Amino acid sequence: MPANGAPHGFQRTGQNSSGGRLAIVLLALSVILFTVSCRMGDVGVLGAARTVWQTVTMPISCIGSVAVQPFQGLGNIFANLTADQETLSQLQEENKQLVAENAELEEAQQTATRLQALLDLKDTYNLQSTAARIINASYDNWSRTVTLDKGSSSGLAVGMPVTDSYGVIGQISEVSATTATVRLITDENSGVSAMIQSSRAQGMLNGSADGTLSLNLVRTDQTVNAGDIIVTSGLGGVYPKGLPLGTVTSVEKYDGAMYYTITVEPFTKTESYEEVLVITSLTEDQAATAEDIAAADSQETSSAASSKTSTSTDSSSDSSSDGSSDSSSDSTSGSSASDSSSSTSQTTSQSTSSSTTTSSSSTSSSQ
Amino acid sequence: MQIQDTNRYRHDALVLGIVCLVLQLAVAPYIAIANGHPNFAFIFSATFALTVGGPTGVAMGFAAGIVYDLGASSPMGLMAFLLTLSSYILGIEARNKLNDDPGAALANGLISCFAVSLLYGLAMLLTGSSASFIDVILTRSLPSFFLTALFAIPFYLFYSRPQSSGATLNRSLGTKMPTLGNTRRRSQGHLGTRGRQI
Repeated sequence: MPANGAPHGFQRTGQNSSGGRLAIVLLALSVILFTVSCRMGDVGVLGAARTVWQTVTMPISCIGSVAVQPFQGLGNIFANLTADQETLSQLQEENKQLVAENAELEEAQQTATRLQALLDLKDTYNLQSTAARIINASYDNWSRTVTLDKGSSSGLAVGMPVTDSYGVIGQISEVSATTATVRLITDENSGVSAMIQSSRAQGMLNGSADGTLSLNLVRTDQTVNAGDIIVTSGLGGVYPKGLPLGTVTSVEKYDGAMYYTITVEPFTKTESYEEVLVITSLTEDQAATAEDIAAADSQETSSAASSKTSTSTDSSSDSSSDGSSDSSSDSTSGSSASDSSSSTSQTTSQSTSSSTTTSSSSTSSSQ
Repeated sequence: MQIQDTNRYRHDALVLGIVCLVLQLAVAPYIAIANGHPNFAFIFSATFALTVGGPTGVAMGFAAGIVYDLGASSPMGLMAFLLTLSSYILGIEARNKLNDDPGAALANGLISCFAVSLLYGLAMLLTGSSASFIDVILTRSLPSFFLTALFAIPFYLFYSRPQSSGATLNRSLGTKMPTLGNTRRRSQGHLGTRGRQI
């Protein structure tokens, strides 16, 4: 008997089981789905189902995006709490009629500003691109993605890079007829071939779980300073060369480490309602040249060779975490000491600031 | 005689499903602590399991999980598995626990929510989606659990609130039932009267 004194029996007529058999069947089906999904990835029937689902639910995503937009200014409310309440009331009364008009005009102005900035970016880099709008973001805990309101019907395809007015935000990872999913550069599975604008030192910009960016594979004999601008290197042929990515916030060099630990702050904050450009194709001058790739290859080859010789590392001589490092001050006996003297193939490329240290193979695979 | 309106049950279940679907697609992406987002699919399945339970609850849990998986980047079937399992456990007695024993229902729901968040994180860790156990726990599972529990409270309060003509997810399956008294009297529990004789 239940607490209210009524018997359960007849109430469960027609449903006199707890669903054990059904649960077993559905659990087995789930395991099969999981296995198939792990093996096939986003291709095949399951991938098609996801594509259809994205298309079908796109209107709901758009509604959510529009509905959330007004709440993005909630932070202002907390700032207003410190003001005198009476003053606030008067101001609110006086501005009551102006707010609506002002909001509309401001929104139009901001949109125009963003679009103008996109056009400027497009003109500056001579981008072959299509404009789109971010309509949603990922709701699962495992990826940093956003959804665009255009898909394959607008000419978008998997792999196309996406930028906003500040720089690169990511790359299209999935596409349906009317939507496209962009994996952000801050996603921990994302990697962009990048270089430091001032020194031309090349590396791999990777996302992380906490949303920060790290520039990896930059050898400690390169010049890196806090505040340096990171741009795309063009290696891999996906991203145009020279698009801004972020700024170096910290540079750490550990004893005996071959590469710097570099933290980068991205230029873009994309999880908001913004317009973006999808770069549909690259011109020849935007891609890395054959010389760039050859230089990177030779750089890596010679770096590997030099690393073999650098067995007697002076770990006490160069440990700096102040965001400033220079190969000229690096007294590591192996590679850097031989940069300007013994290593014949890489002397020029490393002594000048345009040397590359990133393996082209790793760059290509990430992109 | 028929003591509940099956169509009403279906209508209320449909409303709950649509509300949770819209919240999952339109609101959940914009609410996050660290990398954790609220899981309205779990809220739907748990609410359904705690009020209806049984095979229907299990089926709804599976459906909710599939819907979640379709929109997520994780492998298909993982959330479906977890929500099917949790729905089975929560609804194993096939009665309206939210009305009969709200405290125990809440505790079971929270435990289930935590277990689902944790197991989902561990499964994703095993599939290589994350390299750090600490990251899984601190930045994904716990925030997701916290947000899901937070957003489940309104649903819990709404569906555990006694009322004479409110929303009800429970049903009688259209069964013609014998009665001992007034055959027109409706249930007091708006989430249902499973387990109650009228």
